[in-house]
This record gives sequence, structure tokens and C-alpha cells, in this order.
Amino acid sequence: MKKLALLTLVAACGGKYQAPPPVSSIALPDGSQLKPYDPSKPGKARPQGLEQAAGRVYVTLSNQRDTDSFPVNAGPGFLAAFVASTGAITLVDLGGADGQQCQNPGFVRASADGRLYTPCSGDFSGTDTARAIVEVDPVANAVTRRAAIPAGRVPNGVAITANKIWTGDAFSTTVFSIDKSSFSADASDPVPVDCAKSVFSYVADVMAIRGGLYALCGSDISGELYQLNPDTGAVLAHVTVGPNPTELAGLDDGRIAVVNAGDNTLSLVTSSSAGLTAQKALTFSSETAALQDVRAFGHILFTAASGSNTAQRIDLDAPGGPKVIGEANFGPGSGPYNILPLDDTQAIVSNRGTNTIAAANWVTVK
Amino acid sequence: MPPLRAPWRYLLPFALLAGTIARAQEPGETIEVEGERPKGSPRAPAAAGTVIDTAQFGGEVRSVAEMLLASPGVSVHALGGPGQATTLSLRGASADQSVVLLDGIPLQGPGGGAVDLSTLPATLLDRMVISRGVLGAQFGAGALGGAVELLPRTGRQTWSGGAELSGGSFGTGRLALDAAMPAGNGTAVVALQGDRTDGTFEYARQLTPEIPGSPSYGFTRENADSTRGSGLLRISQDLGGDLGVDLLLQGSGGLRGLPGPSSAPTPRSRELDESGVGGVRLRGGAGDVGWSVRASGRLDRVELRGVRSFGDCDDGAPDCPRDDQRSSNVGAEGELAIALGEANALQLRLAGGADRIHGSGTGAHQRGVLSASIRDDAALPANFSLHPALRFDSIGADAGLSPALTAAWKPAAKHPLTLRAGWGLSFRAPTFSELYLERGGIAANPDLRPEHAWSVDAGAEWRTGLLTLSASAFWSSYRELILYQLFPPAQVKPFNVGEARIAGLELQAVVPLPARFLASLSYSFLDAVNRLDGHKLAYRPPHRLFARLARQGERVEGYGEVSFTSALPRNAFDTAFVGSQVLLNAGAGVRAAGPVWIDVEAKNLLDDRTYEDLFQYPLPGLSIAVIARARL
Repeated sequence: MKKLALLTLVAACGGKYQAPPPVSSIALPDGSQLKPYDPSKPGKARPQGLEQAAGRVYVTLSNQRDTDSFPVNAGPGFLAAFVASTGAITLVDLGGADGQQCQNPGFVRASADGRLYTPCSGDFSGTDTARAIVEVDPVANAVTRRAAIPAGRVPNGVAITANKIWTGDAFSTTVFSIDKSSFSADASDPVPVDCAKSVFSYVADVMAIRGGLYALCGSDISGELYQLNPDTGAVLAHVTVGPNPTELAGLDDGRIAVVNAGDNTLSLVTSSSAGLTAQKALTFSSETAALQDVRAFGHILFTAASGSNTAQRIDLDAPGGPKVIGEANFGPGSGPYNILPLDDTQAIVSNRGTNTIAAANWVTVK
Repeated sequence: MPPLRAPWRYLLPFALLAGTIARAQEPGETIEVEGERPKGSPRAPAAAGTVIDTAQFGGEVRSVAEMLLASPGVSVHALGGPGQATTLSLRGASADQSVVLLDGIPLQGPGGGAVDLSTLPATLLDRMVISRGVLGAQFGAGALGGAVELLPRTGRQTWSGGAELSGGSFGTGRLALDAAMPAGNGTAVVALQGDRTDGTFEYARQLTPEIPGSPSYGFTRENADSTRGSGLLRISQDLGGDLGVDLLLQGSGGLRGLPGPSSAPTPRSRELDESGVGGVRLRGGAGDVGWSVRASGRLDRVELRGVRSFGDCDDGAPDCPRDDQRSSNVGAEGELAIALGEANALQLRLAGGADRIHGSGTGAHQRGVLSASIRDDAALPANFSLHPALRFDSIGADAGLSPALTAAWKPAAKHPLTLRAGWGLSFRAPTFSELYLERGGIAANPDLRPEHAWSVDAGAEWRTGLLTLSASAFWSSYRELILYQLFPPAQVKPFNVGEARIAGLELQAVVPLPARFLASLSYSFLDAVNRLDGHKLAYRPPHRLFARLARQGERVEGYGEVSFTSALPRNAFDTAFVGSQVLLNAGAGVRAAGPVWIDVEAKNLLDDRTYEDLFQYPLPGLSIAVIARARL
């Protein structure tokens, strides 16, 4: 009985668990560095998209200020260019002379010729002038062109094909294009890319993969991956993936990986002359929450989950099928939103919650 | 999932109790079992019900939510440790679909919906009556899962009183005082309860849950403190003849941290809440007619400080305004009970009033509420009883009828066996929050329509003295359920999109044992299905078991209990789950001197610090409390 009481006392006094390991990260510019419209109301970086170009890592900064309701744009959108070897950060102001020509940039993608393109969603009203597709020269770290978005549309996702720049609509299930030469929105009607819904549906992303164009429709109960003609947008094929898909990634073998936030799964889509076929390749742990991104490096996939503050490293060739072989945690409240593989063992994430970027220190399956 | 523990550890609380068993058989102790376990609610005869006598938890630090767990068909959702918000689910229905009444006065949260059980003072209550089923006809629109009636302490014709002082882990303490006395031509009772906790418990999390066997790391819960004070005044006066008047005043106020989920803590968010309920009732009767009229009012206020849509902020900063929300209700009701011969008792009720809400997140709104109901308690031949009921509710722009029919049969008038069955249909009007709240990533939807539900159930009960054995099975159907859905780009908004079918089984046993021991067990099975896609409804545990062995003697008392909740779906697609949880609690106490008892209790004896609630709020590990109490 005494022993039991002693054990109980020891247990009650703590010491059963180690303190969590420290997480190293790099803080992104904040506050006055982001040219707030009202100096008394500065924004936070709220980083999102990641891309590599000209030897640097680029991350979009939404530059938003929290309120007691919906976050508001506190200043122009930015790209932060980060040199991994030195930690140096250079800001690229996307807002133009008046600071109003790009707000709330989310994605950033590089074209084959090394240019960067980022869609700016503005205030999500679909009527403001801060909605745009912005082209950036990463060598000069300067904006080179800006395409206005037609009224009623909010750009979401960006795909750079040979002649067009495609983007989706955050408030409808359509995609539309920007002519790459004139850098203005095409007059043609938006292309529907619907998916079954109960409450909401939208275009989660569009992406150019191995010369093809793909659009991902997400809804509260379903998801649909579309293969489109990269010049006309005509639907070539489509397939149902999981509910509420958030991102897609092209593999070097032609397959496409899709993360489905609704049911916490990974789908693998195969393209053939018969069309697209999808299979659920992996169900994540119950503790992994809010899958936001997927990227590929060879047959290694990297995923980010903002709800659980984690990133996963997945071996598609593992015996028995795709398997999580490594995982990293970026700390409470970090909210990793996007992930960028540097090779098949290293990746960095943009932490939207803590306004940092961090390298994944993988805990690996033994 | 926590690692599997050695089975013997589950027996630990009962092993501890064995010590009190030995002491319980000391010579000179009186060993007797008295009285009869009280039956269910008189407002819902022949409905599935459970009565919880709060006195059975004497010598224990219990919240209202913890006591409700002794009933089958009940789930509570706690946002963390002591003092944090806790809501109720009956038969798998949502917290908004469960009616909570204090002495017959409906309570509501500040948004007009779910009641936060943590704001209700447990020591001011005498009993809790849980009635399960679609009971809109008996308790009013909104009771789609059932109702919980909180019955406060009552006065006595002689002076009596009690005091309780406890302190324990995480800086948690409670002081409760009550006194009942004769007053004028009647009685009065005054009760006070104060609670506080630092809330700084240790918890553990796996940081890399995808990796099998990866370690859990230790964290300290911060900003989970809570301080609360509550009071109750109840006066009953005879006015001569059959006339009487009852006054009830109950108030509660608290300040607590809002620590946030473990994945995204909010160390700067705080909440101040104040609530008050008052009612005065005039009652009388003559011959076969009884009547009462009552006026009542309720006021709730919540002020959120340092709360943002995504995270927290510095309270008092220019861009961090406080969010003040108030809701209130005033109403009056009249009730008439008429005995129509030996076989029928008619209950007529008419009520009216107004609900109001005012807040920075909702704006100012009000709506009228009106209800009229009739119920008959008919005694039929061959020991059958039939209880048809019909109620009309008008709540703002929403109105509807709630019919119900329950029936019971006994082999003989005094026979311990009762067979019962019931059917009910009702609706729930949208709450003010659902209609108007725009805050913190939540979008309002003023176009919402009422939810509708019906259910059928049947059961059997065997009751002799303190022995109760009961079993019930039910089947419920819900449509136009109001569910919060993702609303791009980054909000959630309520929509009438849900359809569900919930079926289940409820078992309860209360068995008096020798040496003043009492064993109780309740088990609930739920099969909650989304009828639109066939997936299980999230956050409904398929299995819940509560078992308790307690002894209340004249010198020694003690208890051991186990509460098991099975794994439950975390998402709407059957692919993510909250792990099962087993909580073992035990306590023992002795009468130290005169009426003074000293008790020690331990909760979560396995010290499992990995448990979290449905929304990733960590739950505390082992806690120990010392309780001193006296009752005169």
C-alpha cells in the first residue's frame, strides 16, 4: 500500500514526459516592414505559397491583419525571397505604385523560363482592384507585368502553360485564362469544373503538369480532378477524388497525387488514353488534421497539415504501398500551409500561424 | 492511442475501496438501506428517465457534468479541465437539442442555445432528472434529445446547513455553504458556492503521430484558470388555505482563461460570464383542481477578451476590442391541473414571453415566444397508463406542433416491473447565435429553418426499493439539421443540411448491496448515421460505460468508479477517430469528529495525460483532492 501511495505521489508530481524539442525557424518580415496602409494597424506576414527560382526560395506573404471577424488586408502583397545558405530575405512588393494592385497573394509558381507568377485574391469580394495575376522576374526581384482579373472572379491557384496562364475561381467552380503575350484576361467564357456539393464548392488549385493542365474542384463532400486542354480549357477527362481536396502534385511517372482534407487521405490519379482513374493510396493518422499541401520529389511525397502543425514524408514505393516514413512537427500554432522539397530528404514549410519558414527535421520510421 | 495498460490497473479504484469495505464492517455501525429511489420527471411520465441524487456524491468534488455521466444516454463534451466550458448531449443529439431547466425555468447559453454546464453550481442542487427522447410536447420545442431538470435545494421546517471545503491538484479549490431554515409561514434555503483552479496541469502529446511508437512530450496547460462564484436563494411561503408562493433566485459569475486547443494555444484569451435566473410562482388549488402562475426571467452575459478569429490578441490593444454579448428572457406561464375522476389527470399550460440578444457579434434582436400545451395522464384498465401530450410553440417566425404519446404497463399495481413505450415529434428553432452571430470565423445565416425530429422508444424497468434495473431501446430521425459547414475562404456557416438517424440502447442498474454499499452501472450504445451518405455522425461515442461502487456509512465512506468512452469518429467520413478513454476515480473518507467528514479522492488514477476532448483540448492527468465537509 505504501508503495502504491508513493507511486501515486510520484505520478502526481510530473516528470513522466520529456519537454518537446526546440523548433528552429526563421521569422518573416512583419508589421511596418510590410508597408501597412495604416501604420497603427500593421499586418502579419501570413505566408503561404512556396517556390524555388534563381537559387532562392520564394514565399508569398498575404500581409493580413486579424480582426474579430474575417482577416483584412493590411497592406500590399509581397513575395519574400529567401537564401537558404545565408538566411537573407529580400522583399518584393507586389502592390505597385499605389500599393493596391495586389493584395492577399496565395500561390506562387515558376514557369519553364524561370519567371514567377502569383495570383492575388484581394479582399475576396470579387470587385476590388487588388485582384491580379502578377509576374515577377526573380533575377531582378521585381514585378514585370500585372494582369487585372475580370469582375466577379477571385483568382485561386495558377498554372503556366505554353501560351496561357490559368487560374481558378475561389467562389465558383470555373477556371479562366490570361493570355501570356498580352497579359490580359481572355474574353472567352470561364470553363466549368464542377464537383458534387452539399454546401460549398470551389476551385482549389490549377496546375500545369508535364505539359498538361489540371484543375481541382473541391467541395464539402466531394472532389474532382479535371484534365483540361492547356490552350482552350476544354475538358479532356475528370475523375472523383476524396472530399475537400486541397492540393495536387505531379509525379515523375505521370501520376498525380491529391491530398483530401475532408477524409484525411491521399489519392493517386493515373492518366491514360482511357481517361483518369483514381485510387485512395493512404489514410493519414487520426491526429493529422487539415491537409493543405502536397509536393513530390521523385517518388517521395511531402505533405503539410496545418491543423496538426505537421509535415509528412511519404515513400510511394514502400513495401505494401505508400507509407509515411517521416514526420516533422513545427510547434503549437505554427499552421504549416505549404511545403517545398529541396531534395528527397529535406523540405521547408511556410508557417501561416507563426509567420515563419522552417526546415523539416524528420522523425523517421525505424 | 494510449498504450494498453495492464488490466489490473483498471481494478485499482476498487482495490482502494476494499480498504473501506473492511472498515465498513466495524462493530457498532448501522447497516441499513432506506427509502425508494425517486422516479422520473412528472412532466414526462413513462419517458425514459434517470434521477441523480446529488447527495450520493458527498465527499467528492463533482461538477454537474461529472454527475450527469452516471446516467445512460448522456455524453458530456468538456473543453479541457476543471472550470472550462462543458456541454451536454442526450441520445446523440447536439447540445442545442437538449433542454436544461432550473426549477422548471429554461436555461440557455448566451447565444440562445447550449448551456455551459460548468457555470452551474453542483452543490446548490438537490437532484437532477434526465428525461430522454424527443420530448418537445413535454418540455418545449428544442428538446430533441431530451431534457435535464435541475432541482435546487429545498427549504426545511427546521434549521439545517452544511459546509464543504476542498483543495487539491492544479490549485483547485471549492468552498460551499448552505443553510435551510424556517422563514415566516414557510421555508427558506440559501446556498453559496465558490470555485477556483489554476488549471496548470501537465499533459502529453505525440508530436509526430504518423510515426508508430513515436514519443509523447510533456507540456504544461496555460491560461486554463477559472474562478467562479454562485448563489441560490429559495423561499416558499404558505399564504393560507391552499395558496402558496415560491421565490427562486440563482446567480453565477466567473472569469476564466480560454486556453485553446493544444495545436493552437491561445494564452491571452479570457472570458467573463455572468448569469442570473429568477422566478416567482403563486400556486393554489381547490378540490380536484390545482393551479400555478409564474413569472420568470433570465439574464446571461459573456464578455470575451483577447479573442480573435484565428488565435488571440492583447486585451485592451486598439485592434483587440472586447466582445460583449448578452441574452435575456422574460416570461410568464400558467398551469392548470385537473383531476377528471379517478382515471384522468389533465395538465394545461400556457406560457408567453420574449427572448432578446444584444452583442457586438450578433447585433440586437428579439423574438416573442408563446406556447400552449395539454397533457392527459390516463389510468386505463389492466394497469395500463397512457400519456398523450400536445404542445404548440411559436418562437419568432417559427412555429410548430409537438405531439407525443407515452404508455406504461405493470402486471399489477405494486408490481416492480414496468414496461413502457413512447413516441414524440418536435422541432428546434435556430438559436440567435446560429441566425446572427458573426465573429471569429463564424458566419451568420438568418435564413435558417427549424430542425425537426421524431423518435420512438420502448423499455422495461424493474424497481424495488433502491434496486433499479432498466433497459431502453430507441430510434430517432432528424432532418433539416443545422450544421456548421466550411464557408470559403475561411469561415464556417450554419446550414440546414443534415439528416440523421440515431438508434441506441440504454441500460442501467442500481443495486443495493450489504454493508451500505451501492453498485451502479449505466451503459449506452449509439448508432448515429448521416442519412445522406451513410457515414457515422462525428463526435458520437458508440459505447459509453459508467460503473461505480460506493459506500455511504456513518463513519466511513468511499467509492470507486470507471468511466469508459469508446473511440468515436472525428470527421464525417469514417476515417479519423478520437481514441477511447478510460477514467478511473476513487475516494475514501472518514467521519473525523461529530458531523465533520474528511475525504480524499483521486481522479484519473491511471494518470493518462494523453487524453484530449473532441477538439484537441487536453484533459488533466491524475488529480488528488482533500475534502472536508460537515452537515448539521
